[in-house]
Amino acid sequence: MQRFLTIAALSFLLVFVAGCDKQKDDIVMPLTSEEFPQVIRFDDEGDGDIEDEDKFSFKLVLNDRVDPEGEELGGKIVPLENDVTVSFEVSDFEGFAKISDYILDGTAFYEVDDCTTSEDNGVDLKLVFDRNTGKGSVTFPKDVEEIEVEFEVSEDLFDDNKLNTNDRFIEFEITGVSGDNKLVTYNPDFSFTYEPLDDESISGEWALDPLDAAQFAAFKKLFSPINEDVANLKASEVEEILLSVEYNEVKVEVVLKETETVTECGDTDVENKVIEIEADLEELDLQTLDGEIELVGEIEQDDETLEEFVYKGEFKITGNKLELSLTGEYDGDETDEVTLVFSK
Amino acid sequence: MLKLKLLFFGLSLITALMLQAQTDAGNRALIKGSIRDAQNKSKLSGATILVMGSTLSTVADVNGNFSLSLPAGNQQLLVSYLGYTDTSISVSLQNGETKLLNINLSSTSSELGGVVVTGFLQGQARALNQQKTADNIKNVISSDQIGRFPDPNAAEALQRVPGVNIERDQGEGRYVLVRGLAPQFTNMNVNGEQIPSPEAGVRFVALDAIPSDQLASIEVTKSLTPDMDGDAVGGSVNLITRQANNQNLHVNGSLVGGYNNLMKQPNIQGQLSADKRFGKDQKLGVLVNTNYYHNHLGSDNWEQSVGDNEVELRDYELVRTRMGLSSTIDYKFNNRNEVYLRGLYTRFTDREWRRRYVFVPEDEEIEKMTKDRFEEQAILSINLGAKHNFNKFYVNYEGQYSEGRQNTPFDHELSFIGGLPSELSFPDPKFPTINAPGFNDNTNYEFNDVTYGNTLAKDRNLTAKFEVGVPYTLKNSTGVFKFGGKVRFKEKSFSITEDVYESEGGVPDASWFDQDPIKDEFLGGRFNLGRPLYVSKFNNFFNANPGLFELDVEGKAITEAVEAYDASEDVYAAFAMAKHQWKKLMLLGGVRYESTSVNYNSKDVIIDGAGDLAAIIPVSGGTTYDFFLPQVQARYALSNFTNLRGAATFSYARPNFEEIVPAQEINVEDNEATLGNKELKPVSALNLDAMYEHYFGNVGIVSAGLFYKKLDDFIYRRVIFGSPYPLTGTPTIESIDVIQAQNGNVANVGGIELAFQRKLDFLPGFLKNMSLYTNYTYTDSKATIQSRDANEDKPDEEEEIKLPGQADHVGNFSLAYESKKFVVRASVNFNGTYLSEVGGNKDEDLYVKNRAQVDLSASYVINKRFRLFTEFLNVTNQPFETYQGNENTFVQREFYGWWARLGVKFDLEKITGK
Repeated sequence: MQRFLTIAALSFLLVFVAGCDKQKDDIVMPLTSEEFPQVIRFDDEGDGDIEDEDKFSFKLVLNDRVDPEGEELGGKIVPLENDVTVSFEVSDFEGFAKISDYILDGTAFYEVDDCTTSEDNGVDLKLVFDRNTGKGSVTFPKDVEEIEVEFEVSEDLFDDNKLNTNDRFIEFEITGVSGDNKLVTYNPDFSFTYEPLDDESISGEWALDPLDAAQFAAFKKLFSPINEDVANLKASEVEEILLSVEYNEVKVEVVLKETETVTECGDTDVENKVIEIEADLEELDLQTLDGEIELVGEIEQDDETLEEFVYKGEFKITGNKLELSLTGEYDGDETDEVTLVFSK
Repeated sequence: MLKLKLLFFGLSLITALMLQAQTDAGNRALIKGSIRDAQNKSKLSGATILVMGSTLSTVADVNGNFSLSLPAGNQQLLVSYLGYTDTSISVSLQNGETKLLNINLSSTSSELGGVVVTGFLQGQARALNQQKTADNIKNVISSDQIGRFPDPNAAEALQRVPGVNIERDQGEGRYVLVRGLAPQFTNMNVNGEQIPSPEAGVRFVALDAIPSDQLASIEVTKSLTPDMDGDAVGGSVNLITRQANNQNLHVNGSLVGGYNNLMKQPNIQGQLSADKRFGKDQKLGVLVNTNYYHNHLGSDNWEQSVGDNEVELRDYELVRTRMGLSSTIDYKFNNRNEVYLRGLYTRFTDREWRRRYVFVPEDEEIEKMTKDRFEEQAILSINLGAKHNFNKFYVNYEGQYSEGRQNTPFDHELSFIGGLPSELSFPDPKFPTINAPGFNDNTNYEFNDVTYGNTLAKDRNLTAKFEVGVPYTLKNSTGVFKFGGKVRFKEKSFSITEDVYESEGGVPDASWFDQDPIKDEFLGGRFNLGRPLYVSKFNNFFNANPGLFELDVEGKAITEAVEAYDASEDVYAAFAMAKHQWKKLMLLGGVRYESTSVNYNSKDVIIDGAGDLAAIIPVSGGTTYDFFLPQVQARYALSNFTNLRGAATFSYARPNFEEIVPAQEINVEDNEATLGNKELKPVSALNLDAMYEHYFGNVGIVSAGLFYKKLDDFIYRRVIFGSPYPLTGTPTIESIDVIQAQNGNVANVGGIELAFQRKLDFLPGFLKNMSLYTNYTYTDSKATIQSRDANEDKPDEEEEIKLPGQADHVGNFSLAYESKKFVVRASVNFNGTYLSEVGGNKDEDLYVKNRAQVDLSASYVINKRFRLFTEFLNVTNQPFETYQGNENTFVQREFYGWWARLGVKFDLEKITGK
């Protein structure tokens, strides 16, 4: 009997111990948000400017983290506690033979405030860039939210008078972070691409004559639904109307004759007031003289909600004239097709 | 008005009886002792001890012990117990004397021939005796009776009780619904005191956390007496742990092995209990009971979202353990004074892998996900108390510490998305037809997001209570006047961490993170799910490549702020009651007062019109409410075996914490605000009960009962269209749809309960060895809620619905063949269709379809100490099914397969003196 009792008790204990917490054996626990390292990455996937521009830049930033103070609810950039060196390289390019043909020099800095950069204060971010190999490095200092690496480039390399139908770009990748390695890493998949925009394509700045009554009326008809200021506009109040087709976005600026005094970084200027409409380019072929175009933007409502507007249509470039035929959709209403004619 | 009348009646009765009792108080003595089976010495709880020639009587408690204050002198006692021969005993008592009486009863041998060996009828007899002699309407299940059914946890054991249905999780019972009322309408007690809920936000307890092996008995009280907590509308469930009853070391237990057919995996189970009373006079009793259950289970499931034309295939795998440890230490100083310490600790763990596909044809997307989650629920209850018997009164008091904790140390879900077209159709409504070429090819899926979460919910009760009873005699009738008080301090909290990581690229496709399939086939081979995602493999990649991932900081802030809270609740209660026994009539009346003060801390989350987090504002709230609860119970003995019962009681149900905590999520972008309601009042109820019950001498019962409940301040989810926000004061938002739990509506519940159980020994031949256990409950309900057609033009329009969770038909049918050595049983548990969720309109109401589960069990007695048994559960692979609108529009069908167990039960050193 005693033997049985012993066996029963031991069997039970065996079962008990065998099962205890084995359920958690094979789990690999992920890094917690506190353990998760700082991540350095490009601020944006790409940028572009007109082909005769003499410089371009990319920004390196830190991912947002939980605000340790609990004030920024959506998170914020928490600066590094130690300097690190970020290595990068040109990972791809097209439209030219050698990197050194395009990139002439470089500099790196960060903004101390709206009017002052680190360069102004004599801070050297130790930018190193080999124009032959395309490899470089820069210091990402502690207590800084983002840095900018700016390259001086050849303004003549792409500046021609024909429509280019081949790709032209230069792509950068981050290749490493050294220094405080355990606490800082980088996004190896996130690259930055700079594209020179062809000023023979739709890219660039176009102007609409406000004194052309028909065109001015058409302009107002098209954009009044999304902008009250445009709706109330008189031609006599307008200095100029500009359309800027930029990298992945479009800006419409109505420069008014009315002026205002603007003080910036200690300098005071008198400037014209401007009505601005911005939209993202959803569809546009930059390598043709005619094609389809689609613009999408958002308007904030009185209750702070955002309402989307869409303009779709076609464009056609003839000489220095751009003919833009668009219909708009906003708040459930559609506008009739309107054709606007811009000139360079 | 009825409440006032009952209150007046109760108070009048108490006052009259007290005044009268004072005049009748004379010389008294006390008898104490226990009632046992003459052969196997087991205690007979529920036995009646009657002083002949008077109405003075008492009933042996759950451990077979009794005490009775009676006039000194020569007295004749009659002890009776269903299935046993009535025994008459003469005693001579001096004034102030305490006499110890241990009484042995003999079974009626022709009917209980097998009792000693199998113990089979004994448990049933014990339960029915307690039921028969109870002051109120209750059902009692003894551990022996629990053991007759293959029910591993307390919820499954309760499903055999008339008027009880259960909600299941992965095929195992979890929540208990009494008389068609949702789980929050029934309070859960261990050893007579409420236990807290381990889960966040609610009060009810998931009873799958409590192993049935830990219990000596379960009581389901359906009509309250004033000495019970008043916050029970459906009923009150009391789980009673075991106590030492044996002079010699008594060891019993079981070793069980099993098999789950769906998972093709074994399961193991064991229980070991030892108890002994120490010392010459057996003053000290110690019992330790422990058990362990380790089970591999799973389910094959499909679900659809009807309006969105989406289908999910869900493949569940679980490893579930259930561990229990209980102990009772009691010390009887003498015949009048005793102290006890009772503890119960249970730990339920669930490691769950949920592997699923979500087919979204409209977006030409298929989502492939795996969730890997570990959850632990622990309940600790410690009761320390004492009982003192004096000549003219008795005092009982107790303190309790109890804690419920649900800890989820990890809850990971990995999601990949494939841009794949799919076509969904239902030529057979029971299974979807999915045409999605390449859906099980992992190279088609790219990373979507991964969620890493953990939560901790805690609920703690600190309780102290006392009661004083004063027996009295009125000429030829007797009674007891009782009063007492109670305080309970509760603290409840919930904390959560939820990190969602996304990536802008660089994460390989799903084939890098897959593993071999877990099951051979899914839904009977209808779908080939391919290789599932393996979360740990992905986590290795995540840890090695954190630069590819970015935390959704705002989402984290919103989730953690909205869901986390802490609350405290203080309850003060007092009662006074009298129970009086005339010849055949027992009348019990009294009143209970309960005062509750609740305070909360939580956070408001405001999301602006652009969908961005605008603010998180800490908020605090609180409320206080009081209830006077008159209770009246009557029992009329039509004969020795037949009772007629009636009860009119008042009770209430507190709102769930998730409804009253004043957390708010204001989403201006979606024009929707979800607000807690700290002003929410408890649901108050008037309960009327009538019951006829006839007991069979050979241990059985036939009973029929009627019940009706009128629920005031019924809580429902109300939408206030175009409301200003906040609801009071200066609005910061002019118009937003506010969703809030509110009072104001009435619900009515009524029904009939029928039960029949007995050995069919009136049948000829071998059929006389058959026994039948069956019960049926019909319930109907109507609740008035804001109409789903209500809008800004007609916001007050109402409509009637059935109460969610209320099934019209609930029942059990169990037929057994029982010889001295061999028992085989087939059991069917039936849960009727019920409304599960109230939808946006009637067509969106979600119903759980009726389900009948068939279980088979058999046992063979090897000798007095060992018994072999086997159990087959869910033999017909009955699925869990829900539908929307009509019965052919299935929304979910979940299959568990069948599972089986084979084991040995042993009971050693049971016979005293050997």
